[in-house]
Amino acid sequence: MTTGRIVKPVAALRRSGGLLLTAMGVLIAAGCASDAELDTFAPQGPISEELHNRGVLPVFWIAAVVLVGISIAMIYLIWRNRVKNYDTDDEWPSQTHGHVPLEVGWTVGFFLTMAAVAALMLWSLPTVNATEDNTMAVEIDGRSVDWEPTVVVVGNQWWWEFRYYFSDQVDLAELRAHGDAKTLPPADIVTSGQMIIPTGEEIELIVTSRDVIHSFWIPALNGKRDAVPNRFSPWKIQASSPGLYFGQCTEFCGLSHSRMRMQTVALDPADFQAWVNNTSLDAVEPVDPEALAGQEVFAGICTSCHVVEGLNDDVFERADQASGAAPNLTHFANRSTFAGGIFNSYNADGSLNRTVLEAWLRNPSELKANYIVPGEQYRGMPNLDLNEAQIDQLVAYLAGLGAKPAGWIIEATQVD
Amino acid sequence: MAIVEKQPLELGTADTVSYAEKPLGVFTRPQGGRGWRDWLSTVDHKRIGILYGVSAMFFFLVGGVQALLIRLQLAVPDGSVLSADVYNQVYTMHGVTMVFLFIMPLAAAFANYFIPLQIGARDVAFPRLNALSFWVWLSGAIFLNTSWIVAGGGADCGWFCYAPNSGVAFSPSHGVDFYAIGLQILGLASLVSAVNLIVTCLNMRAPGMTLMRMPIFTWMLLITQFLLLFALPVITVALFLLMFDRVFDAQFFNVDAGADPLLWQHLFWIFGHPEVYIIVLPAFGVVSEVIPTFSRKPLFGYEFMVFSGIAIGFMGWGVWAHHMFVSGMGPISVAAFSLSTMFIAVPTGVKVLNWLATMWGGKIRFTVAMKFAVATVAMFTIGGLSGVTHSVAPANTQQTDTYYIVAHFHYVIFGGGVLGLFAGLYFWWPKIWGHFLSERVGNWHFWLTLVGFNLTFGPMHILGLQGMSRRIDSYARGYGFEFWNLTATIGSFLIAAATALFLWNVFKSRRDAPYLPPPGPDPWDARSLEWSVPSPVPVHNFDTVPQIRSRDDWWHTKYGEDSTGKVVQVATAQEAAQTGEATGVHLPSPSFWPLSVALGLPLIGYGLIFNLWFALIGALVTIGSLYSWALEPVDDPDAAHDDHDDHDDHDDGSNDRAVDNSDSNEATP
Repeated sequence: MTTGRIVKPVAALRRSGGLLLTAMGVLIAAGCASDAELDTFAPQGPISEELHNRGVLPVFWIAAVVLVGISIAMIYLIWRNRVKNYDTDDEWPSQTHGHVPLEVGWTVGFFLTMAAVAALMLWSLPTVNATEDNTMAVEIDGRSVDWEPTVVVVGNQWWWEFRYYFSDQVDLAELRAHGDAKTLPPADIVTSGQMIIPTGEEIELIVTSRDVIHSFWIPALNGKRDAVPNRFSPWKIQASSPGLYFGQCTEFCGLSHSRMRMQTVALDPADFQAWVNNTSLDAVEPVDPEALAGQEVFAGICTSCHVVEGLNDDVFERADQASGAAPNLTHFANRSTFAGGIFNSYNADGSLNRTVLEAWLRNPSELKANYIVPGEQYRGMPNLDLNEAQIDQLVAYLAGLGAKPAGWIIEATQVD
Repeated sequence: MAIVEKQPLELGTADTVSYAEKPLGVFTRPQGGRGWRDWLSTVDHKRIGILYGVSAMFFFLVGGVQALLIRLQLAVPDGSVLSADVYNQVYTMHGVTMVFLFIMPLAAAFANYFIPLQIGARDVAFPRLNALSFWVWLSGAIFLNTSWIVAGGGADCGWFCYAPNSGVAFSPSHGVDFYAIGLQILGLASLVSAVNLIVTCLNMRAPGMTLMRMPIFTWMLLITQFLLLFALPVITVALFLLMFDRVFDAQFFNVDAGADPLLWQHLFWIFGHPEVYIIVLPAFGVVSEVIPTFSRKPLFGYEFMVFSGIAIGFMGWGVWAHHMFVSGMGPISVAAFSLSTMFIAVPTGVKVLNWLATMWGGKIRFTVAMKFAVATVAMFTIGGLSGVTHSVAPANTQQTDTYYIVAHFHYVIFGGGVLGLFAGLYFWWPKIWGHFLSERVGNWHFWLTLVGFNLTFGPMHILGLQGMSRRIDSYARGYGFEFWNLTATIGSFLIAAATALFLWNVFKSRRDAPYLPPPGPDPWDARSLEWSVPSPVPVHNFDTVPQIRSRDDWWHTKYGEDSTGKVVQVATAQEAAQTGEATGVHLPSPSFWPLSVALGLPLIGYGLIFNLWFALIGALVTIGSLYSWALEPVDDPDAAHDDHDDHDDHDDGSNDRAVDNSDSNEATP
């Protein structure tokens, strides 16, 4: 026979060692990655910590122990039983057909192992689903309300909208009865791309979508929840300390799925109240003539999709988009990212990121894949054929919409 | 006088005479030959197996090129090799191609070729249906890929094609139409094949071969066929609804019209999860043949292996919603599917330990086939355990739809499925072609594949846990994804190099074959029936249908035990093997109608997409061919009919034999 090369022990060890190294590398690298903003092994809030410590880590250890055990057994068997060739070795080993007690034994063994994993799951699952009845005092329109911290999260191709209800609070049952994500009740604050939350409070999220299925995920604060059109699914997040927490849509949602990102900005309660105070106000008429001209341009062109409260919200019906919505720009300049959470609104030195904003207005599809076909419903922002003067005016107008975010937020937004 | 001499030839029995008058509209039944036309009309399960295998390997290259494009795009941040649109098409078609056009047909190749040989049959139960399933599969495969040309692109909705993104409003290109119709055609092929092979396994086993004596590979394939039989109707219904939605505006999945946005997901995964077992069970079967052969021991715990396979087959139906843990199901549903997912790991773990126990105390010879088989066990173990980690529903909320899942299912499907099928290729190559694949080149192929595989998919575990989402066409700089993505891309090119080596091996071993000693019927000193016939297998498989006295009957023909229980050889393989020289064996006649039926189906597909008149033509072709098929004479009157004694395994006698498990029957020589 021409066959019969054997694996040398070194080679066998090298391979099996590779398995172990891969497995250990997974744990180590994931545990140590420091510059990974989406790292799932770096929880930053009580919910994600509990999820990590109960749901993730124990089962990883169990899997690692089983993997090491099976790998050692395999390496041993290869090392112990390999032969070079049968031609010189005609002895047949004992023809063992099986050993029922042994097989029952390891069937039961695996059953018990999985029962342990099941117990872990049943131990951690309730904490994922439990909700607190926490309330927080929020001042809105000059009066104080007991806010049950809730944010309605709405997915759209390809950006996220966040709706805050303080005066007329909504709950899950009410929205489920309503059943339509395209005609949500009017909110006190509507923002997009960045969700602002107070630290130390469990925030209930009511997740839905206006077009296809998306998935909302801030890995540092909790796992993910699909945004299913016209369905309203409960979820929750909580941040322990102020910070900017990154997220990425995780359910394939079409063309620009990869460019559908979001951040959660956790502010301490006082800063959160200040943010509410600012953002619940309508936009103010600009004084700068350039910005005023920009408002003219906006009112003429942008208004077919975008709302600026105080400018066109009284006449606005529906955005000319498949989802029927486009980002509310009333406090555009208050966010540190734009265009679906993908571009920084400000440079590291705090200045407006004018280059990208202008390029975006010049032709959005060059910066982000959009579906723009005449005669069909748009998904994404079309090229508006603006001239350079109009672009400058619009930038001046947009830069004045809302208060500039705090320096640390702008700094944290810079990912590199 | 000439007339008198001709008479005995022309007039056999009264039956034959009736064929002298052909039914209206029926062509003469083609006869066997060696030309290319014979491959179009063949009903020989071995040739159909080869056709499946060759086509599957072609699509492995297609899917592989798509994989390389994906990896090139993701090698560095903000990749610009592909546009977002093209990337979505490429990753969709990569998945569809690898699942439906590579792994499933490659498993079908093995099933077609080896089920009859392993159970001692001359062919499958319905040879023309067998040809039909191949041609329908091929027509569906070609149809699906023509969307690149005639629709300007492939489907761009992911292989899972979730509604409502799959609707015309969100996926306006025709790619999704090709997906919906193409997969229906492919499903038809698998369904026909499943029925055929189930009947074959249940009814056509050689006398004495009880179900519990059936080779484990055939067992795993039988379970796979049952999974196909029940899973495909579900996806077919879903695809049919999707097709009606897109083509005729039926609104099944249109959320704006009140449709349930999660209905598609349930239908898809009720098919999609058993599909995972459809992919890995055949590979488990291969591994369960290869490891005993090269450990010189019988499979440890045959009964446990059979029943764990059946258990996986059953439990595989109760886990589908673990793909939907974050879709918003209630906690009780989540807990139930999480639990069922965990406990399907029990029979799978039993299999792994039984393979190890087979190696325990054995004498292991590391041929390339054995290396692939052992690597399958090792890699599948990693994939299985990473599966356990995200069966925990809360953990799943962090890991689902990230690269951690991509890593997991590639360790299962590539590590468990593809490596296992490669083990099968090296193992059975001499049986199919009459020469070995080169072990030297094979070694390089194996090590490059293993290293490349781990380099490609190992880092994806880390990427996933670092939060890299699936199905993204690019990622931004600075999220910590750069290093491992580049590593994965390098690994993918190692796999490509390994695959090139495999192709070189195919070519080289064929070129060198005339100068090397032939493998003989049983080169590996193996255990099951296919090794008792010459290599390559003669067209009639068995000169005489063997009488089965025990599990691993062929091994027991060669070896016995002395009084001390020591194994002694009683016959060499050469002595015990059949010669393959029988003549006059009655075999099913070839037919062009299966091909003809299949040709109409893509026309119906194009018709539904572009112009319904095409569909009419296609329907006429298919229905006309079915009609002609039905009227085709069952047997070629000119074929040999002189030996009616040993070919009656297509007749009603087979049922009786299938249940005949008497050990007292004397073996026929």
